[in-house]
Amino acid sequence: MIERQITIKRDDGFHARPAAEILKAANKFKSTIYIKKDGKLISAKSILNLLSLALKCGETIELIIDGEDEKQALDEIIGLF
Amino acid sequence: MLGIIVVSHSEKVAEGVKDIAEQMNSGQVLIRAAGGAEDGRIGTNPVKIKEAIEEAKVADNILVFVDIGSAVMGTETAIDMLEKSIREKVKIVDAPLVEGVLAAVIQASVEQDIEGVINTAIESKNMCKL
Repeated sequence: MIERQITIKRDDGFHARPAAEILKAANKFKSTIYIKKDGKLISAKSILNLLSLALKCGETIELIIDGEDEKQALDEIIGLF
Repeated sequence: MLGIIVVSHSEKVAEGVKDIAEQMNSGQVLIRAAGGAEDGRIGTNPVKIKEAIEEAKVADNILVFVDIGSAVMGTETAIDMLEKSIREKVKIVDAPLVEGVLAAVIQASVEQDIEGVINTAIESKNMCKL
């Protein structure tokens, strides 16, 4: 299991776009991929979860990835925030 | 390919929801707006809805999202007017208009199963905003 704290760098006006990119990337991997924010844990493989999270630039979240392809998943997903 | 029809009492709302959804569409969904009554008045127009559905007939499945009240009736009337081959592909989805359309378009980019796309759209009514 990998746990990584990251700060949101993207500042898209329309946050559904990065959410959709994260969704697409997350669904390529077998690992479970979770985002933890303010004690809330959500799956990055669900668009509704991602949209309701409403991440903002400057916020810190924790990425929790667990599974056989966790390293590849982290590499691909970390750049999307 | 998936077809999505946005039905609203307002032509502007239908076009606006389509505009938002197109932001997330990488060509995998055919989106058509069918809003307002004749002459741009507030209301729904079964003929307009029928024509919008027909424009999406190349799609394997056509999901119709409606705003409120009689939009459902107008859509059902439109569906009744369709040729059988198109009618069989159409389904009205019980979901919020903006969230549902957006969720369906995005989900369709990661899932081929139409039931999964429909369920995601329906579940969008439970999405917390605050």
